Amino acid sequence: MRRWGWTVAVALLCALLLFPFYWMFVTAVLPTSQVLARSPTLLPSIADMSFEAFRGAFERKPLATWLANSLLVTLGATALSLLVSALAGYSLSRFRTRAQEITGLTLLLTKMLPGSLIVIPFFIMASTFHLIDNLFALMLANAAVGVPFATWLLKGFFDGIPRDLEHAAMIDGCSHLTAFAYVIMPLARTGLAACAIYLAILSWSDFVFAKTLINDQARWTITTGMVSFVGEHGIEWSALMAAGILSMVPMIVLFLILEPFLVSGMTAGSQR
Amino acid sequence: MRAASRPGTLARRERLFAYALLAPAVVAVAALIAYPMYLIFSMSFREGKSMNFLALGNRPLGLGNYASVLADDATWHSVWVSFAYTFGTIIPAFALGLGTALMLDRVFPLRRWLRSLVLLPWAVPGVMVSIVFLWLFDASFGVTNYFLRSLGLISTDIAWYTDESTALVAVIVPTIWKSYPFFTLTLLAAMQSIPGNLYEAAEVDGAPAWRRFTDITWPGIRGQATLAMVLNGLWTFREFDIIYAATGGGPSKATETLGIRAYNEAFGYFYMGRAAVIGVLMLVIALAAVLLARRQLRKEFF
Repeated sequence: MRRWGWTVAVALLCALLLFPFYWMFVTAVLPTSQVLARSPTLLPSIADMSFEAFRGAFERKPLATWLANSLLVTLGATALSLLVSALAGYSLSRFRTRAQEITGLTLLLTKMLPGSLIVIPFFIMASTFHLIDNLFALMLANAAVGVPFATWLLKGFFDGIPRDLEHAAMIDGCSHLTAFAYVIMPLARTGLAACAIYLAILSWSDFVFAKTLINDQARWTITTGMVSFVGEHGIEWSALMAAGILSMVPMIVLFLILEPFLVSGMTAGSQR
Repeated sequence: MRAASRPGTLARRERLFAYALLAPAVVAVAALIAYPMYLIFSMSFREGKSMNFLALGNRPLGLGNYASVLADDATWHSVWVSFAYTFGTIIPAFALGLGTALMLDRVFPLRRWLRSLVLLPWAVPGVMVSIVFLWLFDASFGVTNYFLRSLGLISTDIAWYTDESTALVAVIVPTIWKSYPFFTLTLLAAMQSIPGNLYEAAEVDGAPAWRRFTDITWPGIRGQATLAMVLNGLWTFREFDIIYAATGGGPSKATETLGIRAYNEAFGYFYMGRAAVIGVLMLVIALAAVLLARRQLRKEFF
C-alpha cells in the first residue's frame, strides 16, 4: 500500500514538471477565442477540442518536408557517429598507449566546443567546397560533434565487458576484429542503444548548424522551420503548438521506448 | 594486450589494430574539430570585416581583434551574462535533479514509466523548449502571468522576454527545465551503484533519513555529482539554441551570452575576426573550469 503512495507522489511531481507539454496540447486543440484569453481554460472540455490546428500547420508550412529532412540527417549522423565511436571506444578501452591517452584527452576537450563557435569554420569550409544547402554536409557536422561524448560513453561500457571473452574467441580461431564484431558488439547492445538515443536526440535537436549551413527553405530541418514561425507578425499559437507537438513526437516515442537502455547504459558506464 | 608468446610481431599487430580502430575517430576529430579550431585561431588574427569569408586569408595579420574585443565593455557584459546564466541554471537544475533522483531511487509500481516521464524534457530540442516557454511566458495571454495574477502576486502583466530586467530569468527557466534530467539520470545511476546493505545497516542502527543521506548517499554520489556539474556547466555555458530562439540576445543585450555574441558578430555584422576572439575567450574560460576540476575529472574519467 505504501508503495502505491510513493507512485502517486512521483506522479504528482511528474504532472508538475510536465505541465509545459500539457499546455502545448491544450493550446493546440482549443479554438483561438479560448487560447487568446485573459483567463485561459485550464481544463478544456472534450466538446471544445478540435484537431484543426494540426491540419492547418501542415497546410501553411512544408512541415512534412522539414520532418523528412530532419529524419534523414538524424539517421545518417547517428549511424555514422555510432560506428566511428564504437570502434574508437573499443580501442580506448582495450589498448593503452601514449597516443591513446592524447586522443582521449582531445575527445574530452572537444566536449567544451560551443556549437555557435564551431559553426563559423564549418560555414567557411562548406562555402569553400560549395556544400551550403547540402544535407550531407549537415549530416557530417552533426556526426562530428557527437563522436567525442559517444566514444567516452562506449569506452566505459566496453570496460565493463571482461577481456576473457574475446580472448576465448581468439583462442578458438577468431581474429581480433571478428571477435569484436561477433562477441563484444552483441554484448554491448545496451551501451550502443544508449549511445544511439543520445546521438539521435543531439542531431534531431540541432539548430545552429542547420540554420547556418542551410538557406534553401525546402532543405530546412524541423528546428529551423519551427523558429521561422516565431519571427512572424502575430504568432498563431495553436498552429505553432500543433507543429511543435508533431516535431517532438518522433524523439519522445524513441525516448520512452528506449529509455531503460539509456539508464542501464549510463549505470554500467559509471560503475565500470 | 598480452602477447607474451611472440612479442615482436604480435604486439605490433595488436598496436596496429588499436590504431586502425581509432583512425576514423581521429580523422573525424582532425578534419571536423581540430582543423576548424585552427581556422578560428588563425581568423582571430585577421583584422577588419569581410563579407567574403573566403578572402579572409588576405586580410592583414595583427592583434587588433584582441585589443578591440577585450577593450569593449560589451564583452565583459557578456562574460557576466554568461556566468549569471550558467550558475543561475545549474544550481536549481542540480537541486531539481537531486530531488527527482532521490524520489526515483526506490522500488515502487510503475517506476520505469514515471522515470521515463521525469527524464522526458531532455529529449525536447532546445528551440522547441524555447518556443513553448515563449508561450507560457507570453505577456498578455501567457499562463504564467495568469497564475501570478490569480495568486495576487502581480497587478500588471510582466513582459518576460521584452523587459530587460526579466529577460535573463525568462531564458534561464527553460534552460533549467531542459537540463535537470541530465542530473537526474547521472545521480540516479550513481545512487544505484551504492550497495543496498549499507542502507540496511543504517536502518538497523536507527539512523534518521537525513543521516542516511549525508553519511551514505552523498559520499557515494559526490564524484559523479561533481562530474555532472562540470559537464552540465560547460554545456550551459555554451548554450545557444534556447536563448537565440527566444530573444536573439536582446533586449538591449540583456541575454547576450558570449556564445550568442560570437554568432552575432560573425553572421550579423560579419566581423569574423572579432567573433573568433570571443570564441577563444570562451574556450579559455571553459578550459580554466576544467583545470579547476581536473582532479575530480581525472578520477571519474580515466
